[in-house]
Amino acid sequence: MPRWGMVIDVKRCIACWGCTIACKEEHFLPPGVFFNRVLIGETGKFPTSSKLIYPVLCNHCEDAACVEACPTGATYVREDGIVAIDDTKCVGCRACMVACPYQQRTYYDEKTKNREFFPGQGKTEMETIGEKLYPFKLGTVIKCNFCSERVDEGMKKGLTPGKDEDATPACVNICPVGARVFGDLDDPNSEINRLIMEKKGKQLRKEFGTEPAVYYID
Amino acid sequence: MNDNHQNLVETMFPSDGSGIKPYEWMISPTRQRQWIDEKGIFLWLAFFFSEIGAGLYFMSLFYSFRPGIVIGWLITLILGGVIHMLYLGNPKRAWRMLMKPNTSELSRGIWIIGVFAVLGFLQMITPGGFNMVFNFIMGILCLLIISHGFATMNVVRALPAWSSTVVLPLSIISGIWVGHQLLQLLFALSGSATVVSGMEVWAATFFLIYILCIGLYAWGTWHMSDVAKISVKKMLEGDLKRITYVGVGVLAVLLPLIFTLIMWGGSTNGFLVFLRLASVLAGDLAIRYLIMKTAVYNPLI
Repeated sequence: MPRWGMVIDVKRCIACWGCTIACKEEHFLPPGVFFNRVLIGETGKFPTSSKLIYPVLCNHCEDAACVEACPTGATYVREDGIVAIDDTKCVGCRACMVACPYQQRTYYDEKTKNREFFPGQGKTEMETIGEKLYPFKLGTVIKCNFCSERVDEGMKKGLTPGKDEDATPACVNICPVGARVFGDLDDPNSEINRLIMEKKGKQLRKEFGTEPAVYYID
Repeated sequence: MNDNHQNLVETMFPSDGSGIKPYEWMISPTRQRQWIDEKGIFLWLAFFFSEIGAGLYFMSLFYSFRPGIVIGWLITLILGGVIHMLYLGNPKRAWRMLMKPNTSELSRGIWIIGVFAVLGFLQMITPGGFNMVFNFIMGILCLLIISHGFATMNVVRALPAWSSTVVLPLSIISGIWVGHQLLQLLFALSGSATVVSGMEVWAATFFLIYILCIGLYAWGTWHMSDVAKISVKKMLEGDLKRITYVGVGVLAVLLPLIFTLIMWGGSTNGFLVFLRLASVLAGDLAIRYLIMKTAVYNPLI
């Protein structure tokens, strides 16, 4: 069984927010909800300051703090390493949101559901279709799922996640500079492992011991 | 700017901070919101009521005071329990919270409250229920419930202000202190002046330890890390400083100190006991609010 992971090359990223938008389209996310974000910060002081660009998403941690915190088992780690949420079990206690050091989870409530992309003008056709095609349950927590629907469907068709677009997360497909690579962390010969080894991939906030599956290289 | 444009701006950048803010979101230390803002306020109250109910039950065991354990039991289960349910997004599924006692602190808490509910009821209705075995088991359960709220927070590694080692002792002593004050008032109302007077020695002791734990928490958190230090700064500066100075400084510390000094040596007075209790309850709420409100996450980059 593979363990899916992602490598993001921060030197390549041009902060186009393509991943953010592709993700919103893929999951029909309502206004104000993001499974993918691009963090932009600065270090140092002029004239030696430098800009930091870090696309962030759920890290699908091996030892996930959210999984430990979840009192119902609604949040769990799949065999392929993807941290998933079973919305029929989620009680909406938000312990996972508090526990996540990366703050990658969103609580889906009435307020979030009722937000419109064009306030006061009703929901667009796309928003209405989205609610039917990709329904979120009220009072539950939602987050990035590494596009597990695409990965699962693709694998059923014999496709390879990370290589074939139909089996690869939307944020990876959309990236115009190829800053994101998706693949199997358990396969020593995979592209993702080669990049992590050669470019000394690092994880965000490793000190929490969560062992994220998202690595950053530069 | 017309109304529609204003609405659009509010949608994209909602005041709760959930919108796109690329230059702010997790670039600097970010405050914990889920367990204190908006509906999260229920959790703050639920932890508080569970704590004071269990505190009252715990102290009542030492005096074999049946009305105390009944009231404590009711406060813990009805006020604490119902408010917990109000917080949940799907309260009908609350039974599922029994599923992961091996890892989740929340799940363990629900088990403990369940056992407390059953055994507490049995103790209430059993003649001679205040025997050593029952008292010992219920005492342990009460201490676990008192510390349940802060224990749930304490295991969150991502929030340094909550993972301080003093959080649990502070929680336990505050539950005992508040429970003691409630019991003292109940005795005062029932006309047991001698008992009320005798309890004053313990009031002074618990109060001293409570103050010590508050001081240790602030000092320990300040020295723990840069991010934890921000939590303490948030308490002392900005919007929350009034709650800190009035809620903690005056209500939790100064007024109880004055009342304790007035009643020093056991010269108690029912009205002063009531005033001290009111002050202690408000002060305890303020401390809990500040600890929950000021916890911040490390920036990601």
